[in-house]
Amino acid sequence: MVSATKDLKQGDHPAKDGFEPLLNETFAGKHLTDPIPEIKDKWKLLPAFLKVKGLVKQHIDSFNYFVNIDLKKIVKANQRVTSDVDPHFFLKYCDIYVGIPERTDADAANQPYTPHECRLRDLTYSANIYVDIEYVRGRTIVRRKKVAIGRLPIMLRSQQCILTGKSEAELAKLTECPLDPGGYFVVKGVEKVILVQEQLSKNRIIVEMDKKNNVMASVQSSTHERKSKTAIIVKHDRIYLKHNSISEDVPIVVAMKAMGVQSDKEIAQLICGNDHDLLDLFSINIEEASKLKIYTQKQALDFIGSKVKVNRKISGPRRPWADEALEVLATVVLAHIPVENLNFREKSIYAAMMVRRVLQAVNHQVEVDDRDYVGNKRLELAGQLLSLLFEDLFKKFNSDLKLNIDKVLKKVNRTQEFDVHNQIILHGDHITSGFIRAISTGNWVLKRFKMDRAGITHVLSRLSYISALGMMTRIASQFEKTRKVSGPRALQPSQWGMLCTSDTPEGEACGLVKNLALMTHITTDNEESPIRNLVFVLGVEDVNMLTGAELYQPNVFVVFLNGSILGITRRAEKFVHDFRRMRRAGRVSEFVSIFINDHQRTINLSSDGGRICRPLIIVENRKPRVTQQHINDLIAEKLTFEDFLKKGLVEYLDVNEESDSNIATYEPDIIPESTHLEIEPFTILGAVAGLIPYPHHNQSPRNTYQCAMGKQAIGAIAYNQLNRIDTLLYLMVYPQQPMVKTKTIELIGYDKLPAGQNATVAVMSYSGYDIEDALVLNKSGLDRGFGRCQVMRKYATMVKQYPNGTHDRLVDPPQPDSELWNSTYAALDADGIASPAEPLESGSIYINKQVPSNTNAELGVGSGVQNITYKGAPMRYKSPQTGYVDKVLLTTTESDQTLIKVLVRQTRRPELGDKFSSRHGQKGVCGIIVQQEDMPFTDLGVTPDIIMNPHGFPSRMTVGKMIELLAGKAGVLAGKLQYGTAFGGSKVADMSQILIENGFSYSGKDYVTSGITGEPLSAYIFFGPIYYQKLKHMVMDKMHARARGPRATLTRQPTEGRSRDGGLRLGEMERDCLIGYGASMLLLERLMISSDAFEIHVCEECGLIGYAGWCQFCKSSKKMKSMQIPYAAKLLFQELMSMNICTRLMLDDAL
Amino acid sequence: MNAGAYGTPQPRQPVQQMAYICAACGSENTIKPREPIRCQDCGHRIMYKKRTRRMVQFEAR
Repeated sequence: MVSATKDLKQGDHPAKDGFEPLLNETFAGKHLTDPIPEIKDKWKLLPAFLKVKGLVKQHIDSFNYFVNIDLKKIVKANQRVTSDVDPHFFLKYCDIYVGIPERTDADAANQPYTPHECRLRDLTYSANIYVDIEYVRGRTIVRRKKVAIGRLPIMLRSQQCILTGKSEAELAKLTECPLDPGGYFVVKGVEKVILVQEQLSKNRIIVEMDKKNNVMASVQSSTHERKSKTAIIVKHDRIYLKHNSISEDVPIVVAMKAMGVQSDKEIAQLICGNDHDLLDLFSINIEEASKLKIYTQKQALDFIGSKVKVNRKISGPRRPWADEALEVLATVVLAHIPVENLNFREKSIYAAMMVRRVLQAVNHQVEVDDRDYVGNKRLELAGQLLSLLFEDLFKKFNSDLKLNIDKVLKKVNRTQEFDVHNQIILHGDHITSGFIRAISTGNWVLKRFKMDRAGITHVLSRLSYISALGMMTRIASQFEKTRKVSGPRALQPSQWGMLCTSDTPEGEACGLVKNLALMTHITTDNEESPIRNLVFVLGVEDVNMLTGAELYQPNVFVVFLNGSILGITRRAEKFVHDFRRMRRAGRVSEFVSIFINDHQRTINLSSDGGRICRPLIIVENRKPRVTQQHINDLIAEKLTFEDFLKKGLVEYLDVNEESDSNIATYEPDIIPESTHLEIEPFTILGAVAGLIPYPHHNQSPRNTYQCAMGKQAIGAIAYNQLNRIDTLLYLMVYPQQPMVKTKTIELIGYDKLPAGQNATVAVMSYSGYDIEDALVLNKSGLDRGFGRCQVMRKYATMVKQYPNGTHDRLVDPPQPDSELWNSTYAALDADGIASPAEPLESGSIYINKQVPSNTNAELGVGSGVQNITYKGAPMRYKSPQTGYVDKVLLTTTESDQTLIKVLVRQTRRPELGDKFSSRHGQKGVCGIIVQQEDMPFTDLGVTPDIIMNPHGFPSRMTVGKMIELLAGKAGVLAGKLQYGTAFGGSKVADMSQILIENGFSYSGKDYVTSGITGEPLSAYIFFGPIYYQKLKHMVMDKMHARARGPRATLTRQPTEGRSRDGGLRLGEMERDCLIGYGASMLLLERLMISSDAFEIHVCEECGLIGYAGWCQFCKSSKKMKSMQIPYAAKLLFQELMSMNICTRLMLDDAL
Repeated sequence: MNAGAYGTPQPRQPVQQMAYICAACGSENTIKPREPIRCQDCGHRIMYKKRTRRMVQFEAR
């Protein structure tokens, strides 16, 4: 275009040819060389996206999918319950659906309940599962609707949850926080998250090296009925089929023959096509089959049948081997490829393809696959895990029901007509308890799939808003942590934009636990058949009509759908292009992905669940399809994100398709090959890493450290934080939103629930109490409320009733003038519970409970209430700091026991040793608290809240922190909040300009006077606000010392741990030091005298331990000596004796 | 709730009924031992204890 217009300019054109405007200097006010305007506020797509998808929505979508679709599918597959006794009887499930969360007690006034009530009362937030049934009663068929079969815990903010679609005001009425993401369960009052589980994708061929460095191709088949693993392996240069249900590896040619491909030529052609290199490699396998004298399908089946593991119950006559083999090949081997009417065509082609891939890898034509590639991974979400669980529970429910039905129907004459409905109602709570047990323990035990996984669920961490949010985006890996391979832990290029590059824990789980990036979505299953139809309509040839020769022709591409072969196409580019156009037009689901693999010459379509995907702007003809007009409409709320999808402006790409696309990061980067444009580059980070200002200026591990620390910061937790009664709750008294925020902060609502304060920081050395990252704090700053926090702790107890009729009781305190009274009763009220606002000192009783001394034996007849004796079980407050009772809650649980929860509050101001951190992985403890008078001050009289030692900078290279200070200072002076968004944000030059305009140095350095001497400091000091977080690690909770104290009963050594007032261990390494130094008496004192010294009496004659002055072994008192040994040593001797080993002590004079 | 747990050395005046506040409607309720907790007005099952009537002195630091 540009060159064409230049030509026009030079040429002498006659007037009035329609091109006159091109001759002018400007066109529509623009020069020819003016830059093309970029789309402004493109990032506005992000909040629009987060409204419909992303972050926690995948959990909710997955749960909704389970409730709406999976549940029905499972029931449909297990629709009928019949009886062995009465052939006329049947029970049919017609439909299944889940109600809204309701109370279990029928007499309650308002049936629906809120999640918050469940949290407070230790209930499970669950709803009834209803079925519509049809069954035989007598001689009639009865239909019943809405029969409850159990209760399903409901995910918060899912379709069933009462919070869904509520406005902020309505949520406030339900004491629920509008910023709370949902996506978790409330089980027995505890918030439980089912973490996203990462695993290798199912039903896809993976070619890799085995332990002996041989190539193997394996596939994990997974269908609703069966899970199995099939592998094609290389052993002694020959290729075998390996499967668990076949005891020996089967030569591949035999396997192919068994699947009905009898001719050697056909086998060779199916596997190698016309490639002579591959044929040479493969020929040995054909020889092997003929050596085994296997030529026909019957012979091959007999061969395999003799090796099939028969694990069925022996019932009826043994079937011929061939039949056995045929069934295994049809249903177990490569189980995901369907075999209908023994048509093995598809399966044999599939197996041939696997062999071909092995041969190609052996021949080094292609590389082996990378199992760490994110495209080869699938994420399993709550819905999938619950559906596995439900399937198991439902089958168990039905088989139990069948047993019960058989039991009743067996009786010839019944008192009343048999009605299954009564059976179902009285069937117990198998399904309910199964769900609750699995979610509250995190153990998924499914016998059918031999699945026994622990640690699926976790308690939602409520340390801060960020920690809760971070937990919802977390991905747990199935790999064991002990394995010493770096592959699964390494940063993968393919995780770009899908998984956060910074947020991973340090230490053993490093790289195995990942987090989702900001703009990701995890797919749920899509129906396959419409896609299959569309593919054939678009001109794909069915695989059943093809031979090997056609399959492997050059420029023929094999089309796969979810790992199974559909057919071939000769015009791959056009096919893919057409398919994408159909998708963009909304003819197939937007989450169906398609990509070309040029190495394998395949086209892969995926519609399965668990793929990670993200939206991108479509680029066509070097122009993004999203225009400024679209964005303006979006801002004006005329368009939503869904509209962008529908109009084909934006589309979702999964990892595989993303790798097959050319994505421009910024608009000017678009080249002719570009297919997509990034919506915003900062979305490659996740929610937690998004808090960091200017992360692109930091050394990468620093961002990772901050991701770990951001979750420990004390701040606001939720709008309902003061209504919550959690075991432990840290709250900041005066949280502030950061001066330098990021777009992510606004998107996730961290500015509304912040965890930190903008501290004025002077980067300088002061007093020497600031070495090794220690911070100097300003005492007046602390008085003003800097870093002040509240710690709320829950103490709960049940007032129990026992089976023998006795019960706990709460007792009023003694009268203040009585002898029994002491100050520990001070807080108690007449009902034996401390009232709110009462101060609790260490040792104070807050619940004066008594338990009956005998809770087991039946009370004798006639023994009245008077005869029951009680012993005191008062609950005492133990903490060095005074706490105040904040709330006392009394309620009744589902089991009709009284539950009392006492919430105790402490207000803490920062003290020496409390931990603080900025948002750049720069943590430090308070080293000294200085009077404001002694603090350095600037010419404006500003004193810092924190003085930070400059040695923290050079080695850590957290330049982002310096820019944060600069931007924060400029923001303060301009009265604006600045942005530190990743790969963007306020520019340093602009910030310096603001500083200069306000009479400050462009560098952020200030003239500072010493508060101690009153002289100016000899350097300008880098001075300004930095957002500081107070971390939950506080000295008060850790401080511990002991001189004397409790001892363990068994060994008589001091107890271990702060909670038991334990001793401080002089360990083996410390012992080594003392030995090396030669301080033997010190050792003796530390290891025995101060620990578990014990006096024993030893007989010099026999060397055994006796009484003082009497040896029972020698029956004499002559040679008894007394000595001191550690009690543990005495214990050892006695334990050895109990094992029939005699230990004798040989006494000698010590030096 | 149970008077005289300490061997009752001297006769004591009966303890007056404690009032608790319903978390849903705010009305005052009494609680009897071994009876399910339930608001007389609205049927809600959560009660909060009232603030102490004694004077509480906080140290402002």
